[in-house]
Amino acid sequence: MRTKATESLLHVVLLGWAALVTLPLAWAVLSSLKTDAEIFASPWSLPDELRWDNWARAWQEASIGRYLLNTLIVVGGALVLVMLLGALTAYCLARYRFPGNRVIYYTLVAGMLFPVFLALVPLFFVVDQLGMLGTYHGLILVYAAYALPFTVFFLHAFFRGLPTAVAEAAFLDGCSHTSAFFKVMLPMARPGMVSVGIFNFLGLWNQYLLPLVLNPDPDRYVLAQGLAALAVSQGYRSDFSGLFAGLIIAILPVLAAYVLFQRQIRSGLTAGAVR
Amino acid sequence: MATVTYSGATRIYPGSEKPAVDKLDIEIQDGEFLVLVGPSGCGKSTSLRMLAGLEEVDEGSIYINDTDVSNLPPKSRDIAMVFQNYALYPHMSVFDNMAFALKLRRMPKADIKQRVEDAAKLLDLSDYLGRKPKALSGGQRQRVAMGRAIVREPQVFLMDEPLSNLDAKLRVQTRSQIASLQKRLGITTVYVTHDQIEAMTMGHRIAVMKDGLLQQCDTPRTLYEKPGNTFVAGFIGSPAMNLKTVSLTEAGALFGDVTLPLSREVRDAATQDGGDQQVTVGFRPEHCKLGAEGSGGIPVEVDLVEELGSEAYVYGHAAYNDSSERFVVRTESAHVPRLSETVYVVPEPGHEHVFHASTGQRLN
Repeated sequence: MRTKATESLLHVVLLGWAALVTLPLAWAVLSSLKTDAEIFASPWSLPDELRWDNWARAWQEASIGRYLLNTLIVVGGALVLVMLLGALTAYCLARYRFPGNRVIYYTLVAGMLFPVFLALVPLFFVVDQLGMLGTYHGLILVYAAYALPFTVFFLHAFFRGLPTAVAEAAFLDGCSHTSAFFKVMLPMARPGMVSVGIFNFLGLWNQYLLPLVLNPDPDRYVLAQGLAALAVSQGYRSDFSGLFAGLIIAILPVLAAYVLFQRQIRSGLTAGAVR
Repeated sequence: MATVTYSGATRIYPGSEKPAVDKLDIEIQDGEFLVLVGPSGCGKSTSLRMLAGLEEVDEGSIYINDTDVSNLPPKSRDIAMVFQNYALYPHMSVFDNMAFALKLRRMPKADIKQRVEDAAKLLDLSDYLGRKPKALSGGQRQRVAMGRAIVREPQVFLMDEPLSNLDAKLRVQTRSQIASLQKRLGITTVYVTHDQIEAMTMGHRIAVMKDGLLQQCDTPRTLYEKPGNTFVAGFIGSPAMNLKTVSLTEAGALFGDVTLPLSREVRDAATQDGGDQQVTVGFRPEHCKLGAEGSGGIPVEVDLVEELGSEAYVYGHAAYNDSSERFVVRTESAHVPRLSETVYVVPEPGHEHVFHASTGQRLN
């Protein structure tokens, strides 16, 4: 039983937590609308006037617009690929018995535990020798492979939980294995697909290490790389307001995804915990 | 319109020695309503799923009409199935659930609409065609599952305990609806249940199964009047038949001091095949009377009386041959004995069922 005291204590902790998360974000937004002088002189004050030109500068001069487009292409492509492959793999592993089923499944699960740092150097040579260094498709393939184990692991549990009888009903209604998957089972797995899709989107959007190693072409930089480059170069020119503006632009899509899909994200976190 | 034939059909689950269904032979006539009944784990559902193509046929074959369907995928068998939990497509509306199979067959849209609406009317679902399954009650979901089968106009209907998720009253109501619907459509139907009352009331014929083996397949009346072995005798009828294994004498079966006379042929048959001077005799609760002391009945001490209004069941025990045997007798509610009273149970002559003591096969 929760008493009033623990309830209020809980709220105090949660309020503190919320402040911890929200305040830096709010501060960054405010700073992106100030001049550099304001940022240094009175870091906590509100801006005298809203300087949207910081945003325009970041978008154009610092190429944040281009980085955003690059990121959308790479993350979007990887997302489509990994969801398709992941759903097919997870479905087969979850619902069909065949020799090697468990080996494949546990290999994928082990892939989830494997630290990506250890794979960076060999991965660089593989991608280089394939001639895909600094290309969209090279990065898309690596991203997809990177996200596949978690996707399969998550959807495997989801497909397991779907009632067998519905698939059987589909077979009796005239479905082949393929059409039963696409017409019946996949739509039923939609909540799981949305959850894992959002997780993948957020994870890949924030990816920095992989593009740092595999994507050396400044024209193809993704946002995380672009921001890092911006931080380095602007550091000397001390255009902090532009840096903050770029940061906020990079955060916005992720923030939008959280706001739009927060219900799915929450249900995704607890999926499989209770049937 | 189709006949269905199980010919030595056997299913052995992987990792198991014992067949779940063992050499099943049943011939189902065109338009017949056959009920597969038995306790859980008897293989009745497996038999149905073999016919559906959801389980493999390891030995023997299954024919629909003259086609061996044993190795055909489910979609090529032209059968429709109603599942125990209905297995509706949760992401589709009621209309789409029913239309799904027809759409897969690329039937013209107007025809699909016509058929679905006809079925919906028949099942009183017309107002719910736009709803998703989760917005329906249990009974409505059950009817959607029926509708999904009906619109297909399949060769064979399969039903796997379709009523077990309904409450008691709705179950009785839906039971008669399904039976009359089947009569009207005239489509060969195989129906699985563990409920012998469902089986008795719905089936043209009933196949009783136990441990993967077919025990008896006959009309409800024959199963009731002439059960082929002790299992069927005990399974069909509620409350269950009084089945007692007792000593066999020159005169008949000996219940303590009371002898139930048996004919010469029956007595001879009972002694064959290691009968060991024993015989199993059964009589139904409704086929015995409560007599007075000295009426030649078996003395039974009353433990419990169930009053059902129109009648009453008297449960009691009789002590003979060093053991205590339980008996059930149906009686008119006007003459209900008191608890602990001793009553005398007199089986009605001509209604006794006699079985071999070791093989359990019927002798009379």
